[in-house]
Formats: sequence, C-alpha cells, structure tokens
Amino acid sequence: MAAADVTTDGPLESATHPQTTRSAVIVGGNRIPFARTGGAYVKSSNQDMLTAALDGLIARFGLQDERIGEVAAGAVLKHSRDFNLTREAVLGSALSPETPAYDLQQACATGLETVIGLSNKIKLGQIDSGIAGGVDSASDAPIAVSEGLRDILLDLNRAKTTVQKLKIIGRIRPKDLAPDAPNTGEPRTGLSMGEHQALTTAQWKISREAQDELAYNSHRNLASAYQRGFFDDLITPYRGLNQDSNLRADTTLEKLSTLKPVFGKNLGSEATMTAGNSTPLTDGASTVLLATEEWADAHGLPKLATVLDGEAAAVDFVHGKDGLLMAPVFAVPRLLARHGLTFEDIDFFEIHEAFAGTVLSTLAAWEDEEFGRTRLGLGGALGKVDRAKLNINGSSLAAGHPFAATGGRIVASLAKMLHEKGMVDGRPARGLISVCAAGGQGVVAILEAA
Amino acid sequence: MNHSQAVVLGEMPSLSKLYVNAAASAARRRLLGASSGKKRLPAVSHEVRGVRADVENLTAYQHLVGETASDTLPAGYVHSLAFPVSMSVMNREDFPLPLLGMIHLRNRIEQLVPIQFDQELDVRSWAENLAGHRAGTQLDVVSEVRAGSSEDLLWRGVSTYLAKGVFLPGIDKPGSPHGATGASEFVPPDPTALWQLNLDAGRNYAAVSGDFNPIHLSVLSAKALGLRGSIAHGMYLASRALADVGAVKAESFAWNVTFEAPVFLPARVALDITTVQADSGNWERSDYVAWNPRSGRRHFTGTVAALT
Repeated sequence: MAAADVTTDGPLESATHPQTTRSAVIVGGNRIPFARTGGAYVKSSNQDMLTAALDGLIARFGLQDERIGEVAAGAVLKHSRDFNLTREAVLGSALSPETPAYDLQQACATGLETVIGLSNKIKLGQIDSGIAGGVDSASDAPIAVSEGLRDILLDLNRAKTTVQKLKIIGRIRPKDLAPDAPNTGEPRTGLSMGEHQALTTAQWKISREAQDELAYNSHRNLASAYQRGFFDDLITPYRGLNQDSNLRADTTLEKLSTLKPVFGKNLGSEATMTAGNSTPLTDGASTVLLATEEWADAHGLPKLATVLDGEAAAVDFVHGKDGLLMAPVFAVPRLLARHGLTFEDIDFFEIHEAFAGTVLSTLAAWEDEEFGRTRLGLGGALGKVDRAKLNINGSSLAAGHPFAATGGRIVASLAKMLHEKGMVDGRPARGLISVCAAGGQGVVAILEAA
Repeated sequence: MNHSQAVVLGEMPSLSKLYVNAAASAARRRLLGASSGKKRLPAVSHEVRGVRADVENLTAYQHLVGETASDTLPAGYVHSLAFPVSMSVMNREDFPLPLLGMIHLRNRIEQLVPIQFDQELDVRSWAENLAGHRAGTQLDVVSEVRAGSSEDLLWRGVSTYLAKGVFLPGIDKPGSPHGATGASEFVPPDPTALWQLNLDAGRNYAAVSGDFNPIHLSVLSAKALGLRGSIAHGMYLASRALADVGAVKAESFAWNVTFEAPVFLPARVALDITTVQADSGNWERSDYVAWNPRSGRRHFTGTVAALT
C-alpha cells in the first residue's frame, strides 16, 4: 500500500513527497431534501435527520453491515447531549456497529471540513473508506437556561444541606427563567450574520438588482436540475418531502424586486438585502461516501471525483478589516497557487450562497486589481469567474442552508457534475468549492473528475 | 372461529370513548351481577380502511421508545394504530369478557413488509381462541394490516389477553399450571441495559399510543382498578426492547413478548439482549429478557427473529 511507503520515508520526507499518497475518491452522496424551518422536519432531531441521510447512502451503495473506516459529521446548532451525535447516528443506522465516528464543528464549513479531514486520512493510508456529513436543525434548536439560572443550578448541585439548598433556590429571579436560544449573532460584535454581510455588501457596492439576479438564477438552476433528474441519485425523500421546500421554481425577478430589505436598514447606503436574496433558516442533512480507488473497485462502486486539496482561511473581521464572510477570498488564491492553477483551469465554481451579497462581494474582491495587489499579494486581480460556470445547479439561496449540511450537498453534487463532464482539454474536469463560515472563517477545496 | 362477517367502521374508533364505554359496562356488570351469560366470541371482524399515520404523533412515539425518527413505521407503532380497532371488537355488546382490567399475557407481531409513514392502510381485527386459563379466561385478538385496498398483508399481530377471575360456563381450566416453575428458576444475567422509568412513563406512552387505560395513568386511577400502583404499558416495554435490538434486524421479522410480572412505576428495569447469528454471519434473532434488578423478578421475555 502507498501508505506504507509514506511511513517508511519518514515524516519529513513524506511531507515533501505528496505524490506518494493515495487519492481519495468521492463515490457518491446522499442527502434528505432541505426543509424550511418549522416545516416538514419540525419535530425531527439532528440525529434523526443525519441517520435518515446515512441510511439512504447505505441503501444506495449497499453498505449494510459494512465497517467503514470512519464517519465524521457535525452540526452547528448542537445540544450538549449530542456530544456523540455522529456515533449515535451510526449506531442507529444499518452500518456495522464497529464503525468509529467523530463529531466536528467549524460553523458553516463543518460539512466541507469533514470531507477534507476524511480524505486526508484516506490519502495518508489511515483509512480506506469514510463517510463525511453534516446536519442542522433550526426547528429543533437547543435552548439553554440563562447564565444566572445555570449558575444557581450548579451551586444547587454542590449544596449538601437542605438549608443551603433553600438559600440557593431563593436566589432565582424571574429574569433567570428566560431561556437562552441560539442566534446567528457574532459573539464579539453582537451583529447578526446578515448585518455583517450588509456592511460587506455596501463596501463592495453590490446592487440590489445583482443580488436578486443571483437569487433568481439559483432558483432557476436548482429547479431545472430537479427537472432533468439530476438529484435522483443524490437525494432520498424524508417525511414526505421529495425536494427542497425552499425552492420557488416560479419565482421571477419582478417578485424578488418587491421584497422589503431586512438587513442593513440603518446603514448610510441603500439597504439591498432581502429575504429573497438571503438564505432562510433550514433543516436538513447530507452525507458523502469517500474511499480509495481500490476500495471503490472492490465494492463495485463508482468513482465520481477525487478530492485534490483543501484550504482554510480566516479574516480579522472584528474591527472591520475584512467582512465576516470574506475568508474564502484569501483561501482560494492560496489553494490555487499551491497547485499552479488559475480560474482558467476551473470548470465549475461552487460558491456557497450564504447571501447573494456574499457571493458577489467575493467575486468583486477577486476582480479588484488593488485588492489583488495589496491584500492577496498578487500582481493584480486574481481573476474573473465565468458566470456560466457558477452554481449551475443552484445553491443555498434556492436549496436552503442547514449550516453543517451544506458542505456535503455541494461536494456530492459537484462530484457528479465533474464525473459527467469527464475530461476537459486532456485533463480531468475541475471544480472549486468555497464555503464561508461564522467567526470570519472559510474553507475551500478543489475536486477533480475521476 | 368464524370471523368472516366484516363490519367496516366509517372511521377510527375513539379510544377514550371506548374506555368510557368499558367503564360503564364494568359498572353495569357490578350492579347486575358478573356474568353476561355469553360464552362465545363475536363472529365478526371490525375493519377500518384508509388509515394513515400522523407524522407528528409518529415522531413523538419514535422518540419516546428510543427509535430514530425514520419514515418506516416501527412494528409497535403499527400495533398502536390497530389498537382502537381491536378495542372496538372487545367493546362490543356481545363480547363475553369485561374489557377493563384485562391482562396482556403475550404478544406476537409479524412485520412482513416495512410500512412507510405515508402509506394508506386497511386495519382488520377480530377475537378468537377463547380458552380457559388457570386464573380466568384468555383469548387472542388478531389484527391484520394491509396496504390500502389491496390483499397484501404487511403486518399481523396477535395479542393474548386474560380476563382474570372470569370463568365462563363450559370453558374448562387447563390441567396443571405450567410456566410458573420456569419463572422461579430465573437467574438474572448481567444486564446489557438499565432503564429508569419515572412515574410519568405510563402517561407519556398513553399520550403517543392513545392507550389511556387507567391502570397506566396514575396511582389513584390504577388503585381504582384494584392495582397497588400504576404500571408501565407492556407494549411500551416491548417496544423499547425492540428499539434496543436496533437496525441489525432484518426487514421482515417476528417479534414476540411474554409478559410476566408487571412493572410498577417508578421503576428500574434491567434488560439483557442476546444476539444470535446464523452460520452465514447474518443476524438470525435477538432474545431479550427484562427483570427487576433489586428483586430479580422477571418482567418479560421475548425474541425478535428474522422471517424467511
């Protein structure tokens, strides 16, 4: 096995000889349709949805009783009792109970990071197969008790006598009983993600029309992908849903233009971000099956694409040096440079649509000569993304965005697109994935047709 | 038993009305004397067509018994879907035994084909095998679930109930009691699970199953029916054991449970599950037994076995 070669080479040398590692192929994926919050999955937990997505993947690729190398998944909104969410989902699935699993959490990049992490393990020879995934429920979100009540309850637990206990209980005030629900606010700024993006959208002077057009294209592209059966082997129905419930196949630019702005209303510039060009809160789960080529062949399974490489970046957003969701702007040029690639070498761009403004600000930054020179350290602009190659089967604005599930949705869809495309100019078709995340982070990856 | 005469009910009978009716007839029996004089089971079956699971209720059931909320109906959930139809048979004027206070002795369910939550189902129930028991009179209530308007049998359940202390003329007690000796020899194995059941376990299962039998709801309502406290639903316990067997089981399986000592709430219940594999390595069956970890008294035993 290649892995043995790597280890005998020694750690230093193996790091300088990445060509000796094996490749990690994407066999396929499965997700449940994404549902708007409070909809079809209102009572389903993260574990329920992740198990449903997993069981669909198991059924599709005949993995019953199979011991998979490792399963990695996560959720952004996660109850503390779900510390072993992924392992519990594995135990509830038809996989062999001897399949290990771990949870991962990197805000909205969780799903993509599980793919990169497991594919690295495959490349290193630690595992031969892996299932990456993610899930999120905004409907079944964990609610915590207030800090005041939590403090009192912990003291109560430590109290020994009845008198002590009564004294502690006497400290409870009505305000302590207010629950603490999760929100999308940044802890250090107090601004919601939408308000942060509104700052960036205004900074890059992204127009309302451009955002609505991107949202319109997302719905139109997703609808036509459904129509031609693109998702037939990527989705299993759950709780009566056959397709993403946020999809509005009949939406028009006129309809989108009538929506009232919801973010950035108190900025000096015109407010341009509406519910139509921002992703709604969504419930859903996705999974991706990764393996070595040998494992896929031995199981008679397809090889859609390989995971070439991934890169994470973070920005100093707290005092506004960069926008909260702009980290991928920095990750992509680093990743391209590592492989000597330019935008010309990319056939599909999958840029997660947290907000239409996020995608458009990202594209604008890459097209900006000065930004390219001063911030990216390039000779000029990074380049222009061909819109005909951007999110051609729809993205989060139409499908919805169950935070940790988005990475798996994109990877499985892109792998299938690359496989269909095959070779381009004598080289395998290439796709670039870019996912922004809370905390000023971003994770990007390149896949190649297998 | 001739149950060829089918009565098609227009809608799913209301369990709460059935229980009120049963309580009224119990009071009537008490006033007018025990025996109704009937010693035969009604020769009819009751049927309700176009039954569909309520998804919110299904999810609540799945979470309560420890199943993942998948789109496939747990076999125990199908039992609770069919239960009002069975109850309506036992609630008929010509049914010879008092419904209230009936003890669930055994249950056998065959899940022949997995049932999806959005499938339309026809449910038919009837009573058969009226027989003597050393402690009273027992009978089987059979339910069959078919895919809507078809003859495809998906699920079949046989619940054996005992009317304790009710002896019908012409039905003899069986000779020597057996099984009691086996129970006394029970040596608890090391448990694979320990359940903590709170006082509200009966109320919680009643809420998802619709089985509001007073013996499960509160100490007071149970005492009114002669018990020293409320007891857990037998099908709740068996359903948790089935959930504990988990995803290893085959798509088609037979699920048996024999109830012994009731579980008085609150309770700790120890459970042991033993998995038996065929020579091929495939799952063949899982045997389970539950007992009181303090007294060592056995609560129930059963198996989940692949149907071939």
